[in-house]
Amino acid sequence: MTALLKVENLRIELTTRDGVAPVIDDLSFEMNAGETMSFVGESGCGKSMTALGIMGLLPEKVGRVASGTILFDGEDLTRVSDARMREIRGNDISMIFQEPMTSLNPVYTVGEQIAEVLRRHQGLGQRAAWEKAIALLDAVRIPNPRSRVADYPHQMSGGQRQRVMIAIALACEPKILIADEPTTALDVTVQAQIFDLLRDLGRETGTAIILITHDMGAVAEMAERMIVMYAGRKAEEGPVDQVINHPRHPYTKGLISCVPHLMANLSEERPELTEVGGIVPGLREFGRDACLFASRCDMVNDKCRNARPPEVAFKGNQASACWFAEKV
Amino acid sequence: MKDELLLKVDNLSVRFAVKRGGGWRKKSYLYAVDDVSFEVERGKTLAIVGESGSGKTTTALAVARLVPAFQGSVDLEGEDFLTLEGDKLRQARAKVQFIFQDPYSSLNPRLRAEAIVREPLDSLGLAEVDEKRAIVDRLFKAVGLRPEQQRLFPHQFSGGQRQRIGIARALATQPELIICDEPVSALDVAVQAQILNLLRRLQEEFSLTYLFISHDLGVVQHMCDSIAVMYMGKIVEQADRLSLFNNPLHPYTVALLSAVPSVDKKRRKATRRVLIPGDPPDPVDPPAGCRFANRCPVAQPRCSESEPPLRDVKGGHRVACHLVDESAKSPMS
Repeated sequence: MTALLKVENLRIELTTRDGVAPVIDDLSFEMNAGETMSFVGESGCGKSMTALGIMGLLPEKVGRVASGTILFDGEDLTRVSDARMREIRGNDISMIFQEPMTSLNPVYTVGEQIAEVLRRHQGLGQRAAWEKAIALLDAVRIPNPRSRVADYPHQMSGGQRQRVMIAIALACEPKILIADEPTTALDVTVQAQIFDLLRDLGRETGTAIILITHDMGAVAEMAERMIVMYAGRKAEEGPVDQVINHPRHPYTKGLISCVPHLMANLSEERPELTEVGGIVPGLREFGRDACLFASRCDMVNDKCRNARPPEVAFKGNQASACWFAEKV
Repeated sequence: MKDELLLKVDNLSVRFAVKRGGGWRKKSYLYAVDDVSFEVERGKTLAIVGESGSGKTTTALAVARLVPAFQGSVDLEGEDFLTLEGDKLRQARAKVQFIFQDPYSSLNPRLRAEAIVREPLDSLGLAEVDEKRAIVDRLFKAVGLRPEQQRLFPHQFSGGQRQRIGIARALATQPELIICDEPVSALDVAVQAQILNLLRRLQEEFSLTYLFISHDLGVVQHMCDSIAVMYMGKIVEQADRLSLFNNPLHPYTVALLSAVPSVDKKRRKATRRVLIPGDPPDPVDPPAGCRFANRCPVAQPRCSESEPPLRDVKGGHRVACHLVDESAKSPMS
């Protein structure tokens, strides 16, 4: 089976006041149809940049793909025309964002916003698009879709708005849905509803999902494979259960153990949380020939500070970019 | 010292006037906090959890007298904090300090870090000038900031460092009670651990009492000694840490805990996910019976007829649900 999405040696550069910084630095990964994959990391590690790069939505004039390819169904998205990219976006690859309020247009009803996608991409007429919008609202489990379709975004709750976003994103049955922190702004019971919905819809339509998040719990529940990003680079990649049980990169290990997780049986004792000291380096540091995690790592030695670690492969499709991956 | 009550909140209610439909219609009220009572022992942490709109932050603000309470009392070391005036109030204010959620908007951008930390001492008139300098020095050390950072402005700090400044400010008056309102939810995951560990160390060192507001049950489980779960302005369940997490009784608590995604495979297998449909009802016009009845998977007719009182079912485990009896078994199990 050939991969649905194949990213090779992708480098995305941002122009800042301090010069050009590679916010995505030599990133390669593959993803199959129907698969759920997760990108994890702290803010500023390049999770969202990867998504915007795939969508062709990098900030204009500031960001650009410097080298590498993004092959989607055999087509290199870094080379296609703007017109073709517009066709792909929404039709084949679509995206939902963190804040459902700011991503919906407040002056149009949700029905109009869903129907617009269908008219544009699928050439449906007014009436047919409206009917399909109602069907989609029903599919994302909004009660009374026939009356709610004429609501404006402000008349809906946060969870309902995110459902509308999902309806818009899935309107054209895309092959890939990118969900960028889709539940960060929502309550945990609503998050459970949205995850449940995404899982079911993904299964029904065969849509592959890229879930961007900082929550390891969410990754464990939703994804089959995960990529841990740090400072624009892939730190670790592998099947979710395997990575969580046996992380091979100190950063992954830190991310898992620094968060107090709910456990099956709570006991009296409460060990101190493992701290990952320091913060993500600034953009100026990006692209240096060194391990960028070195300043926060407790396994660091001179090698780490002077050369970028190569990816070490492990059994079961796990890989880690650390000089001491075997020892972690 | 042990088991001594520091804070006792009785029948606290906070209401806000809301305009509905405009025109000449009668004013209606939203009870953000509705008849809430709880106690916190000295040196312990009580967590209030709930989803947005449940009233947990308003409860915290009312306890700190940052929003006016409509009814009820806040007993702090034997005095009703809500009725104090003048000098007495100023003295009491020193005992109750607040750590805010967003370290970006809760620090004055025009003040240097040292001035921010010193401000409570200035405004409550608590120390002499040279004394203040020493206090600020000590506080910076206590929260893990370097002395030379005192001269910097908030924008020169990272989010975690800013939260440390916020914590130093809260410690300045040597308070008894610190109210932490979502102290880590604006921070990156790796930085959260640093702040949570710091808060626990400080609690040991200064024998602080925390009222800890959070929606993150993982964080709460790590930090608290006892927990109150709020839903639509009411406490629906209250218990010590182990009872609540290992034996949740109220259907809402069960659903809330089951909704938290977990990396622990055992827990994922053991907990059946309980999805609660829909959204909470209109808070201005709450339903007659149990406020959770319309979303509750095990609701019975009587649940929408009379409101269940919060009552002790087993050794201090309190729950407001008609369906929980003395055997302390959850109706969801």
